[in-house]
Amino acid sequence: MDVGNKIRLIDRLRLGFAVLIAKTVTFIVRSLRLGAASVLPGSIARRIEPQLLQLLSQQVKNGVILIAGTNGKTTTSLLLKTILERKGYRVAHNSTGANLENGLMTALLESTNLVGTLDADYAILEVDENIVPKVLTPLQPRIILCLNLFRDQLDRYGEVDTISKRWTKVISTLPPETVVIPNADDPTLSYLGQQLPQRVLFFGLNEPEQYLEAIPHAVDSIYCPKCGHSLDYQGVYLSHLGDFTCPNCGFSKSKPTLESKEWQQILVGLYNKYNTLAAVTAAQDLGIDEATIKDTINNFQAAFGRAEDLVIEGKRVRILLSKNPVGTNETIRVVNQSTDTTTLMVLNDRTPDGTDVSWIWDVDTEKLVERGGTLVVSGDRVYDMALRLRYSEKSTQSNLNLIVEEDLRQAIATALKHTPDNETLHILPTYSAMLEVREVLTGRKIL
Amino acid sequence: MQELIIGWLYPTLMSTYGDRGNVITIERRAQWRGYSVKVLPLDRDSTAADIKSVDVIVGGGAQDRQQEIVMRDLQGAKADAMREKIENGTPGVFTCGSPQLLGHYYEPGLGQRIQGLGILDLVSIHPGENTKRCIGNLVIEVTASRLAQDLEEMTGSKPYLVGFENHGGRTKLGKVEALGRVVYGLGNNGEDGTEGAFYQNAIATYSHGPLLPKNPFVADWLIQTALRLKYQQAIALQPLDDILAVQAREAMFKRLKVSL
Ligand SMILES: [Zn+2]
Repeated sequence: MDVGNKIRLIDRLRLGFAVLIAKTVTFIVRSLRLGAASVLPGSIARRIEPQLLQLLSQQVKNGVILIAGTNGKTTTSLLLKTILERKGYRVAHNSTGANLENGLMTALLESTNLVGTLDADYAILEVDENIVPKVLTPLQPRIILCLNLFRDQLDRYGEVDTISKRWTKVISTLPPETVVIPNADDPTLSYLGQQLPQRVLFFGLNEPEQYLEAIPHAVDSIYCPKCGHSLDYQGVYLSHLGDFTCPNCGFSKSKPTLESKEWQQILVGLYNKYNTLAAVTAAQDLGIDEATIKDTINNFQAAFGRAEDLVIEGKRVRILLSKNPVGTNETIRVVNQSTDTTTLMVLNDRTPDGTDVSWIWDVDTEKLVERGGTLVVSGDRVYDMALRLRYSEKSTQSNLNLIVEEDLRQAIATALKHTPDNETLHILPTYSAMLEVREVLTGRKIL
Repeated sequence: MQELIIGWLYPTLMSTYGDRGNVITIERRAQWRGYSVKVLPLDRDSTAADIKSVDVIVGGGAQDRQQEIVMRDLQGAKADAMREKIENGTPGVFTCGSPQLLGHYYEPGLGQRIQGLGILDLVSIHPGENTKRCIGNLVIEVTASRLAQDLEEMTGSKPYLVGFENHGGRTKLGKVEALGRVVYGLGNNGEDGTEGAFYQNAIATYSHGPLLPKNPFVADWLIQTALRLKYQQAIALQPLDDILAVQAREAMFKRLKVSL
């Protein structure tokens, strides 16, 4: 046995041991009902086995697909996973929003037996923007999807520019056969794609009829990522995503691989069109036939909680995750397209939401307030949200029925009471608030 | 009808973390009292005359690259106009990145030192990419003597401000007066207990949040000062219903276990 093989064997033994411990912990945690087993075991296994992430991902038969971006990771992952599963592939996925390193490892451990053998054809891993550079090398992904970069939870992530610079630096060092799928409509990511030595497949929209009338306030990046000059937008689809060119250096939007008009989208909202196109571009590159992809899109059910319809006490309830300015402007657009009169907003500031709630001042809540009706607010930062809504009114003579309710259970009951029988109650929660709302509505705890 | 013109510094370049909330708060509180309000963006298309025409100035935070673009633009006659406004007592609120550019210079974590206007005697330095950002809820007591006195007269109690800080840079004050002392959080540099700066009628702070919605008396002080200066007469502002702001403040004091 040569030295290399010996190391390999020792690696496998240590891996097996790490896996065994982690699995035992998962089992104990679950049987004692200690709550989320989604993050803890990975963290324990990692203490034992520093190369665990690499050793596990190496064993994924057809490769790791890494999904990064501020909005849409879960929806895109679930669509791609469903497509692959339709073809009979076994797919590992960090499905509970655990997208930090520990969560990735836990997801891979789920498909691993006690001696450390992993049994999955693909691993779809949602990765937090900030740890992308750290995990790229150990994961050696086959495909990297870069969905978008919005100002979100900047308290943890730092700035959009810095993030994209770090991504570019590390992705450039990956093997040339790595496929990168960036959003062409996002200037920062378009530029990222243009700089890479790898094969790059862009996705984006080609639908000028969907342009917004004006660039919304919640915009991060309307300056040329290459030279810093203002970009000229022919039109904006949402936030800073659109059709652009730089009058100074000639930088412009990259050409998407797919013709967006030819593809139906999953769920409501323009951002889900992007999620759909991203997943389709990846699926096609993996060799999945068009018929299977189109059929999956037509039958796709809402990714849990992200745009979900429930029926409670005979009334329809639609939950629209609203965790940052861009997402919330979009969910307000969805509410405004309906004639429904009651909306519940729930603002939390826990770690998964971002502890900084100042982003609500970048949301164009004026558009929600102008239509009147009943607005119920709740959550950890209920008064911050209430202030934002109050300051959305130009006059002190308000036609808005603003109800402030600290207690979430009570807030939901009040909102349901105000919802007429033939209408839908729209609930706009942050991430942790969404889990709580769902628990109240269904009586089931999710995490 | 009396009119208030709000000058908003580089809205598309300098508006991180909801800083436009300060503009919205001043605008609404003046509108609700029947004043006519104009928000004038002071950006790259604006002239020195535009800067001179405003009654109150609001500036927000920026990413490092955007801050550089701003400083390239704010030169010559525009820089002079800005300096003249602040020296002559035009009130303003400057958050995070904008105090850095009113100071002598800002050194980003990566790249070249960005020269400021040198109006405020302070310098800001980012200690490097691997240093932790100062992030979290912030409570300060206003100690800048003239402002503290004005605010105490308006509210009948010691002025405490509630906000949220989120900055990589650390600021050291020279001879300029601090805005306040940190009661909870880190402030200018996490070391000397100071937060922000106060010069003539310019309020500089690291407090996003944004600052004004939860500290409405500061917004009123800005409006009052601006109108008094403009119309050269005493201005009495009608009281507004601020119960939501009071509740938001109390909720935060309670959570942070700050007893005032
Ligand atoms: Zn350019």
